[in-house]
Order: sequence, then C-alpha cells, then structure tokens
Amino acid sequence: MSENDGVKNMATGEETASLESGNSGPDKQPHSADPSAKQDSESEPIAPTRKRPEIKPPSEPVTSEVLPDEGLKSVGKDPVSKEVPQTGWGYWGNWGKSLLSSASATVATVGQGISNVIEKAESSLGIPSPTEISSEAQNTEETNVKAGSIYKEDGNTSPMGAALGVFSTISMAVQSTGKSVISGGLDALEFIGKKTMDVIAEGDPGFKKTKGLMNRNSTLSQVLREAKDKEELRTANKVSMDTDKKAHYGLLFDEFQGLSHLEALEMLSRESEIKAKSLTNSLSGEELENLKHELEQLKEAFSLAEFSDEEEDEKKEDEDFTTEITELFSQLHVSTRPDKLTKARNTVHEWIRMSSSKPLTKEEEEEGKQVELENPEQEDKKTIEDIHAFAIQSLAELTAYSIEMFHKTAALILHGQKQEMTALKRSKTLSQMTVLLCKELSSMSKEFATCLTTVGVKEKADVLNPLITGVFLEASNSASYVQDAFQLFLPVLEISLIQSQIESSQSP
Amino acid sequence: MEAIWLYQFRLIVIGDSTVGKSCLIRRFTEGRFAQVSDPTVGVDFFSRLVEIEPGKRIKLQIWDTAGQERFRSITRAYYRNSVGGLLLFDITNRRSFQNVHEWLEETKVHVQPYQIVFVLVGHKCDLDTQRQVTRHEAEKVAAGYGMKYIETSARDAINVEKAFTDLTREIYELVKKGEITIQEGWEGVKSGFVPNVVHSSEEVVKSDRRCLC
Repeated sequence: MSENDGVKNMATGEETASLESGNSGPDKQPHSADPSAKQDSESEPIAPTRKRPEIKPPSEPVTSEVLPDEGLKSVGKDPVSKEVPQTGWGYWGNWGKSLLSSASATVATVGQGISNVIEKAESSLGIPSPTEISSEAQNTEETNVKAGSIYKEDGNTSPMGAALGVFSTISMAVQSTGKSVISGGLDALEFIGKKTMDVIAEGDPGFKKTKGLMNRNSTLSQVLREAKDKEELRTANKVSMDTDKKAHYGLLFDEFQGLSHLEALEMLSRESEIKAKSLTNSLSGEELENLKHELEQLKEAFSLAEFSDEEEDEKKEDEDFTTEITELFSQLHVSTRPDKLTKARNTVHEWIRMSSSKPLTKEEEEEGKQVELENPEQEDKKTIEDIHAFAIQSLAELTAYSIEMFHKTAALILHGQKQEMTALKRSKTLSQMTVLLCKELSSMSKEFATCLTTVGVKEKADVLNPLITGVFLEASNSASYVQDAFQLFLPVLEISLIQSQIESSQSP
Repeated sequence: MEAIWLYQFRLIVIGDSTVGKSCLIRRFTEGRFAQVSDPTVGVDFFSRLVEIEPGKRIKLQIWDTAGQERFRSITRAYYRNSVGGLLLFDITNRRSFQNVHEWLEETKVHVQPYQIVFVLVGHKCDLDTQRQVTRHEAEKVAAGYGMKYIETSARDAINVEKAFTDLTREIYELVKKGEITIQEGWEGVKSGFVPNVVHSSEEVVKSDRRCLC
C-alpha cells in the first residue's frame, strides 16, 4: 500500500460548497451535508503546504513506505545510467532523459523513501527542514548563514554534489521564502508580493534546478501527494480536523483534482520521453543532425528568459486575464478551452471585490447588519480567517485548473488531429501562458493580502501577518507547480517535433 | 467524524464515445445534468464519498475516460489501477451495445494481473421510445460475463446513485471476504486512515494497522 490516504476531508468539500463561489468544482459532495463541518477555524489558521519537497521527520513511519512503491511503478529500463550525461541532448535533455528513471531507480534499489534521502542530506548539511524554517521564522541570522553554506554546495558538479545541489536548491527555495517570512508583516507583504515572481525566477539562484526538481528527485505529484498524505495523517491523528483542514493547500489541491491531472500529465510526459528516445535512436546522419538542432531550439524555449520582460509587463497588468489566456489558447490550436479556469478566476476576483471594501464605511456596516438580520449565516462572515481560507482555496483551485488545462493540452498535442502548428511555436505560447498564469497567481495573492489588511486593520500584527504570509507562500508554491508542470511539456513537444520531421522526410 | 472513510476505490468508466459517460459521472458527483458537454479529452477525474452502511464510507475516485479511439492509448493506462468499472452503452445506439464485447476484451488484456469488477450500464433509459437494445438481451450479455446490469438516465436521474453504490457494495463485500486485497503497487483499493477514537469495530482497527505497517 503506497499511501496512507487518510481521512479524506469532507470538511473541505463542504467548505468548498458553502463558499458561494458559484464554481462547480468536481469535488462537491452533495450527499454528505454536515453542518458541523462549518465551524470557524480557530486553531492554526495557517497550514501552508511547505515548500517542495516535503521533508518528514525521520520518525515518520510512513515515509519509507510511500516512495519505494511509487518508485517501483515508474522504474525505467535504464536503472543505473543516470548522472552520466547523454551526448547531444544538452542541459535539459540530460535531465529529461535520465533523471526520472534515475530517481525512481534509486528509490527502488535503495529501498528508501526520497524524503528520507533528502532528510539525510539535509541533516548532514545541518539545514533545518522547511517546516521548521517557516514556523520558526524569527531566527533570521542563523538561516542566512546556513543559506550561505548551502549556496556553496550548489556549485558542486560531481554526481554526489549534483544530488546535494538539488537539495540545496530546495533549501534555497525554502530559504528565500523563509527570508520573506522573516521580514515580517507588511514589509513581507510588500517584499514577497512584488517579488514572488523574482523569487521564483531570477531571485532564486537555483531556479533552473528547481524547475527540474521533480525530474531529479521524484515527480512533483509524488512530492505533493506525500505532503497531502502527511497532512491527512496529521489531521487524522489530531481529531480536530474539521477546522484544521479547510485551509490546507495540499488537500484542497487534491480536492480540485489537481493531483490527478498532474499525475496524468506526468504520465504523458514520461511516455513521450521514452518514445522520443527510441525515435531519435532510429535516426542517423543528416536527419539526426537536423533533428538535434531543432530539438535544441525547442529546449531553449523551455529554459530561457520566460520572465525577462516582467518589468515592462507590469504596466499592462490591468489587461484582462480572460482575454489574454483565451487568446493564447487559440494560438495553440488545440480543441480545448480554458473556460473552467477563467470562470473560477473571475469568481475569485468578484469575491475579493465584494469582501475587501466591506467593514470600512458606516453605510456598509449598516447594510451588513441588515443583511445579517435577513441572512445571518451568509453575510458578515468574512473574517480574516475566512479570507485566508478562501485565498488558499482559490490558489489551490486555480493551480489545479491550470494543471488540468496543461494536461488536456498535452493529451491533445499527442493525440489530437494533424499537427497544425510547429512544436516550437507551441512551446513559446505555452511559455507565455505559464508566465501569465504565474502573474495571475501573484497578483491574486496581492489582492488577497490587500483584502486581509483592509479587513483586519484592527487585528494584531501577529494574527494578521502569518495569514498574509501564508497566502504569499502558497501563491509562490502555486507558481512553482505551474512552472514545473510546464516543464513536463518538453518531451511532449519533442515527440510532436520528431514526428512531424519524420513525416516530412517520408513524404518529400 | 464525517470525513473518515474506510476505503478508497478507484473506478473506471468506459464505453463508446457519446454514450454519456461524463454526464452520468457528473450527475453522480455534482448532482446535476450538463446539457452540452465537449468530448472528454484523455481522462478526467472525479471523486465522491458513498455511505454503504451507516457510518461506513467509501471514497470513490472515478476515472472518466474518453470514448474516442484516438485517446485509447491514454485510457488504457488506467485500467490496471482500477478495482471496479462501469461499462456503458447507449440503449438507443445498437452499435455501442455491440462494442461491449470489445471493451471487455480490451480491459482483460490491460488489467493484468489484477481484476476489475464490472457492471454493465444501459444508459439514456429516459429515451425509451428510441430504444434499440432490449433489457432482456442486455441482461443476457451481462450475465454471460458475470456482470450485473442496470439501466440509468443522467438526464432524469434514474438509477445513477444505484449504479455506483451497488458496484461499490459489491466490491466492498469482496474486500471484506478477502477476495480483493490491498496490494503494494496497486491503487485500486486503499485503506483509509481512521483516528484512534473511532477504533471500535475490528475492521476499522485492521485497516488502520495496514496503513501504519
């Protein structure tokens, strides 16, 4: 049994349904009404999914079990040849080709959970776990020092060093988040908000590696699943799960089927990778050279400067997301639409608009009272905890739908009608789309933060700040997931490129 | 303790394209009927809890597969990790009924070494006037394969609950008898995690232990 899919939270499902968001997540459970699930969350309003990868305490009995099994499933044909670069495939190619199998093979042969390995690396480096970092956000200096040491590790290129490098990268990511957390309060708000993208992109020196993270270690979905399972286990043990769970990103992400779509996308990516490999092996001479050149270009589109023009783009932030994403989608020439995503996104924005102005003016207070009389349950319940919970839910929802959209697009690229568009063009469009989605997540988190500060103006900083930080943290995680998912497109588009080249060479 | 479930079952829904797989699932999981729906791309995912006995819940993860041939290579990958399946045909479309054999053959090949408990579903039974497959012959085919047969309508919400819960019960019984067991590397059935306070029945304790070992 690979997972302790513990208590699946109906509480969350209920919450989703009761949030009058009007969206129709697939996870509604109409037959499971339970009024008791609607209590306000008091204890631990923040339950951020920690930065990938999930690191578990060594005492956790689950860990060692989860991964070997996951690994077995995906053990490739070439179990040991991992770190050896394969010629002609360039940076990403190497990763794409060998890492996945290497990761799973390692897990399978060593028979040890990835998190355990990470755990070891972490402890040998003396790095605190991400959870520690985010919870003990105060000890700035200590962590900074550690970050320095991690950073040095990062430069190492030996196989072992490479492995460590990944861990360090993770820690760096965590570190940057940690740092942001530390800055505290509105500074943090400002800092993280503006810099969410930077932190993920340029700001994170290990960015490129972070992107390949899932390939190297384990798949992203595994990592997320681990996080989710652990959370389920934790809440199950705590019994008080009704309140606790509803703002847990990982659980919500799964409720919106994000995990399933991610797994499905990974599956497509993996299959494509194997297929691309065998197809390239069947080529030789000039054909192969041409192909290599084109594949190189394709890779560029996946590794370059997606965020370079961020500054300029800042100006036209107002531009309608729906229009933009729809436009990008039509450029892809696949027969699917981003409706689900745009709908959910617009609902979120509507919600923010409604709730952010609320408790400020007298009129509205009056109005609020009236509404309260009419409908005591529905209105006036936008406490900062509510906003936080809704923010986390929205981030999970949008991320899940983005990944669903990616999954569908990949399926259509692989199994759609004739190729109407070159792989290279598609990769560029997808890259733009990734940027757009990340920006949207970032700007949404900013709006939620503004909303929280407005509504929670009377709250103490130590109540408000963790909530705000939590939102930014999950927004930044969300953006990483979207980017990781985007990386999964590379093998898919490679296949599409190789196939179209084979076709054209066969029909001169 | 509403959120607690004993087991999680993965169910797959298959059948020709346009027989109404997605509509049936959405009726079941979302409680409504979608008038227009695009053809499913690859696979879609849904989930719902079902209470099979008071206090005993099963979480269903439902895989909605594309009926279109071109996605077959994707959907095939999902047979293996399913414990149960609904095989749909459209009672107003004889062709979709004739293809039932092919679907079963295909699953047989791809589900190895595991097994799927199937139920045969004659869908769109609200369109009785356009019926091209009689209940009798459908029942005969189903019996030939050792399946149950049920007629459903997503539009009129006929037997939708029953189709899913009957299948869930059938699987549950097999799990209880030990004929289906939770296996490493197989995701068809998974045990839920039950907090300490609810350790009342033996079964619960058992499933709990499985989890931790």
